[in-house]
This record gives sequence, C-alpha cells and structure tokens, in this order.
Amino acid sequence: MTGPALIAAGFFSWEWVVNHLDDIWDRTIEHLILTGIAIVVGAVISLVLSVVALRYRRTYTPITWFAGLLYTIPSLALFAFLVPVTGLSILTAEIGLVSYTLLILIRNIVAGIDGVPPATVESARGMGYTTRGLFIAVELPLALPVIMAGIRIAAVTTIGLVTVTALIGQGGLGFFIATGLTLIHSPVGTTQIVVGTVLSVVLAVAVDMSLVGVERLTTPWSRKRAAT
Amino acid sequence: MIELENLTKTFIGTQAPAVDNLSLTIERGEIAVFVGPSGCGKTTTLKMINRLIEPTSGSIRIDGRLAHAVPVHELRRGIGYVIQQIGLFPHRTIRQNIGTVPSLLDWDRGRIDERVEELAELVALDGDMLDRYPAELSGGQRQRVGVARALAADPPVLLMDEPFGAVDPIVRAHLQDELLDLQQRLHKTIALVTHDIDEAIKLGDRVAILSEGGHLEQYDTPGEILRDPANAFVADFLGTDRGIKRLSLIPISAIDLVAGPVVPRSATHAEAVAVALEYGTDWVAIQDGDNVSGWLRIADVPTDGNAGPDPEPFRTSLTKDSTLKEALDAIVSSHTSVAAVFDGPVLLGMVTAEALSREIQR
Repeated sequence: MTGPALIAAGFFSWEWVVNHLDDIWDRTIEHLILTGIAIVVGAVISLVLSVVALRYRRTYTPITWFAGLLYTIPSLALFAFLVPVTGLSILTAEIGLVSYTLLILIRNIVAGIDGVPPATVESARGMGYTTRGLFIAVELPLALPVIMAGIRIAAVTTIGLVTVTALIGQGGLGFFIATGLTLIHSPVGTTQIVVGTVLSVVLAVAVDMSLVGVERLTTPWSRKRAAT
Repeated sequence: MIELENLTKTFIGTQAPAVDNLSLTIERGEIAVFVGPSGCGKTTTLKMINRLIEPTSGSIRIDGRLAHAVPVHELRRGIGYVIQQIGLFPHRTIRQNIGTVPSLLDWDRGRIDERVEELAELVALDGDMLDRYPAELSGGQRQRVGVARALAADPPVLLMDEPFGAVDPIVRAHLQDELLDLQQRLHKTIALVTHDIDEAIKLGDRVAILSEGGHLEQYDTPGEILRDPANAFVADFLGTDRGIKRLSLIPISAIDLVAGPVVPRSATHAEAVAVALEYGTDWVAIQDGDNVSGWLRIADVPTDGNAGPDPEPFRTSLTKDSTLKEALDAIVSSHTSVAAVFDGPVLLGMVTAEALSREIQR
C-alpha cells in the first residue's frame, strides 16, 4: 500500500459507515426535525412579534434589540444556562435554536411588509379590504420573497447550530461529531466526525435549494416582466 | 349623487386646514373634476369621499346616505377607486385583479368570471391578457385594468385620482376618450382629480377649481368657467389661452356658417371674380353638381369656363360636430383663411375667423 492510501485507510473507515447506515439515516432525520421545529416555531413567534412591531411602530426597536441580544449569546453558554432549568431535553435545544432564528426572521418579515408598494396598499384599502384581509391577502404574499430569503438564512444557520445541541444529548448529526471527538485517535472517531460534518453541510445545501424551489412555486408572479 | 357639506380637513400637527369648509354637489351621472395647484386639497377631498382620510368636520352623502353611517370597508366596496399608480396586485393575475371587489363581496366563481370577461371587453382589453400578471402589461393596458377593476362590482360612484397622470401624452389622450366613451354608456357619478386644466375641461361636466388651503374658487361647467371666471385666481389658472380653450368646447353647429365664394364648374372668369369680390377673397370654391370639389385661385379660373385645372381640395374636412378649435386650426393652416364644413361630400358652408371671434366675445 502506498503512503496516502494507508493514511486514508487509517483515517476513514468505510466499514463503520456501512455498518451504521440505519443510524446515520435516523440522525439525519432527527437533524431535520430539530431544524424544522425551530423554523416553524421561530416563524410563528416572529410573525406575531412582527405584527406587533408593524402595528405599533415604537415597539420595533425594542423587539429587534431583544432578538439581537438573544442572537449574540454564544450557543454553548445559552445551553449551559438552560440545562438546569429545562434539563437535557429537546425543549432546551429548541429554545436555543428558536432564539437564534428570531432576529433574522423578524427583520425580514418587517422589511418585506414595508417593501409592499404603497400604491398597492392604498388601492387595496380603497377597494374595501379590512386591515386583516389586507395583511393576509396582499401584504404577506407580496412580502413572501423577502420573508423566504430570511427563512433560508435561518434554516441554514439552524442546521449548523443543531450539531452544537449534541452537547446536551440532542443534535442529530452532531451526535457523530461529539462521539467522534471522544474517539479522535481511532479511525472510528475520525470517520464519525467526517460523516457528521459532511452530512450537515449537504443537508444545509439541500434544504436551501428546496426552499428556493418552494419560493419559486409560491411566487410565480415575481419573475414575470413586461414583454418588450 | 355625491353631496359634500361644509367639509373641512385639518391634518394633525398643522394649523391651516388642507380643505376648508367645502360644499358642493356632484349630480348623478356627471363627471366632476377637481383641479388646482398642488396643496389645494383636491386629493384630500377625494380621499374623504371613501374615507381613506377622515374629515375633521362636515358631512358626505352618497346617493343620500351618510358615508359615516356605513362600515368603512362596505362603503369602499360600493365605490370604484382608481389612482395614478394604479396599484394593481402584482401577485395576482389580471383576471384576479379585476375580480377583486366581487370576490370581497362573495360573488360565486362563475359570476365573477363572467363579469371579468365582460369588463375586459368593455375596456378593450385582449382576452389572453387575463391570465397574465400586471408586470407583463404596458402602462396603458394596466390603466385599463385599473378602470375595469374599479367598475367590477358596478358601483354607482367612481373616484379617480390623477388616473392618467402616469402615461405618455398620446396614450393619455386615448384613455381620456375611452373614459368619455365609457361614461356615455355607464352614466356613473365620477369625481376625478387632476392638476391638468386641459384634462379638466375635456373630461368634466363640471369643474371645481380649488386654491391653496382647499378653498373652492369656482364650480361650474367648463364653458361657463372659461366664459366667465369667478375671480383673478381662476382666470390666472385657466391661462392666457382661455379663448382658444373655449373654442374646443363649442361645436361648429353652434354658429352660423357663411356660404362662401362658391361658383359652379361652368362659371366664367368674370363670374368668379364677382363672387370672390363679394367675399373679399382671391379664390373661389368650385361646385361640381352637388359636390364642392375644391378651390381655385381667381387667376387660375379659365376665361371660357371650361377646361381649367383641377381644383385644389380643401385640406381639412370638418363636420358640424367638429369643434371651433379644430375650425380655427383649419383657418390658420390653410391658404384660404376659412374652414370648409362638409356633410359627407356636401359643402355645408364655411367658418371664418370673424365668426370665431364673434362667438368668443359673446
């Protein structure tokens, strides 16, 4: 055997991968679920806070200030603080993950709604839309491209963060990284680190691309331009 | 019918009112145009009618009903609204855009579709435009969609805020004609805002001229305002070509035509000279049977009354429905200094500059 092949063989074990395919699949799904919950819950909370911020403009600065504060707390520290309260649970993981989505989502929702052309809003009101009808039928759909951009960033960020929650017993693919670190001197350890890292990157790219697809499907109007 | 009574609006944080104690009535089926310089409160007045702006005091009645007695979204669903930027929904197809108010009113799907197709035809919008998005249409087409959308639920009242302000002059003139055409058939009660006095004169059954601070300076028919401006502000706003503007409102049928120097084809040179002298011209119109085929300079009329050159055709053919402004244009741009008025091939008579001037000074 040549040198590099020997190193590769000692560094990465295909055998481990083949023997743990089920495990890898389960952790990937777990990773996706942790991410999905964080995005859905984060989006709902952000939507509510955004409606408040849009309705009462003075609350926008404090709301983003608070979301920004959450965003700046190092993830490790946040989980360390939460464990005594909520334990090594999925709840602890989600509180952290959701917290990090808020700033991005609120900013994008508010910017998206603010970006709706004033003439469209005026004509909608003039035709007899109620405030709620206007928000649901006109403002939200028109803000969707900007909101989706926020959701994409939040999703990619969250997928990266989920690996950290392995430290509190959650973590999806992060589990492999955490386990691998304890076995760093054996091929089984380094293999797990590589599998966890590569798959979470692949997951991030795949989710981002699917969200682009969702955006295209939900906003067919945004790509139309006048025929010249 | 729209009745504004002592309508006043003072915006929060300002001293002077934007609209000051305005009272006027727009009769059913009439177009009233609000015109004035910026800051005259014309748009504010319009937006108070559908309560996009709430008046500080005063009242608005639409067909006898107080605007404030109705929930605001119901009031608005009964009033068509067209704005300069049109404000189509970019995320909805043209069909959905036009069907907005009917769907707010919970019409069933089939009835909405039927109505949308009917309106597309009414505003001369191609049927295959209906499934496109607004971004795919030209400015003029979007404006038509805006009008169709405003008419969708057949509201008796239409509010139009600078509806043709964003399109180029040629398209604008065309859309103005279309609106007048539409109004001939629909008889809506329309309040329209513009800063363009010519548009006001062209479109308005009545014109309300407002000055800064929302004072109503004059409210009357365009003809009356041009004939007798209420004060210096109105006269100044109408501009120095007030007389010519008035000409555009008067049809040729309103004045007496002169026969003009017409001689039969067989007339001799001497006969032609006699007729030309009578009218003080150096030309005569040549009659062939019932038709006037054109005109000839006296010098070109053959002495024997037969084989002369072909007469020069009159350059414009006005009818009795043409305006005096068009007649004036014909007068100043023709060699003969008169405008010939035809009914088909038959010469009805001629309009002279003197006749125009007499009419303007009346």
